[in-house]
Amino acid sequence: MHEFTLATALVDQLLRIAAEHGATGVTRVEVRCGVLQQVEPESLRFAFDALVRETVARGAELRIVPEPVAARCRACGRGFAPRIDDYVCPDCGRADTEVTAGRDVVLQSVELLRADGTAP
Amino acid sequence: MNAMKINVVESVLKANDAVAAENRRRMTAAGVLAVNVMSAPGSGKTLLLERTIPRLSPERCAVLVGDLQTTRDAERLGGATPLVTQINTGTGCHLTAPQVTAGLDSLALDGVRYLFIENVGNMVCPAGFDLGEHRRVALLSVTEGDDKVAKYPTLFQVADAVLLTKVDLLGVLDGYRRERVYEDISRINSRAAVFEVAARTGQGLDPWLAWLRAQRGA
Repeated sequence: MHEFTLATALVDQLLRIAAEHGATGVTRVEVRCGVLQQVEPESLRFAFDALVRETVARGAELRIVPEPVAARCRACGRGFAPRIDDYVCPDCGRADTEVTAGRDVVLQSVELLRADGTAP
Repeated sequence: MNAMKINVVESVLKANDAVAAENRRRMTAAGVLAVNVMSAPGSGKTLLLERTIPRLSPERCAVLVGDLQTTRDAERLGGATPLVTQINTGTGCHLTAPQVTAGLDSLALDGVRYLFIENVGNMVCPAGFDLGEHRRVALLSVTEGDDKVAKYPTLFQVADAVLLTKVDLLGVLDGYRRERVYEDISRINSRAAVFEVAARTGQGLDPWLAWLRAQRGA
């Protein structure tokens, strides 16, 4: 249930951005989730919905886009897309791998509303 | 009604990672090697530390230990070093960098050379959160079965060292295939140092201690 930790940080960010723009509503939030964070989308959505319930972002749609793993072989420098359970370099056969993508959770975009229904 | 889309592109983990970076800077400045110890509940993290600390020198070791509830691990580890702080996470299934900051505030780090951060027992969530450690260590007890590296690859992918624990029990485990663990590690993280230990008997502790000492020099 690290989804709750992630949702808490996400909602903090979201509410800060909404306040900065004077928004009175949030229609949509898009997050990119690295697959190595092993986020269970339903758990993240459940936590998100619970956390925004009493806020300006109540009812916002949370869109979760998975980000695949990308890696670079430390031995030969080859970049490749490993499976989550197989990091063997297709060139040199070593599994000494630096993960370059797929570990982060990124707030990509938000869609905001103002009191009169116009965009801020 | 028109909504305005704002592109943000900001890491949700940024707040945690900033605190983690500060923890790391603080411990590096204090000459402390911080080791994040992760595994499932019951893999032997606490006993390993109870046996490791006296061998390294008790006054040079400190421990932050995370559990949902109880101070039982801190009480056990208190027999090995007085510098122990229990972090109760309540419902949290992993430690976060700010919890480690609070733990550091509670410890006198003068003279400490090794800080062990015993994470909450869990093979999934701790792997995703930087605490500010210098090294990550994953434990896997033989009683958990020989298939767990493949089932929980992310934990082992981030590990600098993997300890196969409770190897004194191998004789009573029918059908356990040790080579399967090694095969899986070689496919997921061939850089990890692998040690076989039995903290109860002391078997295999020397190479692990040598590795720890070497990390301070590295």
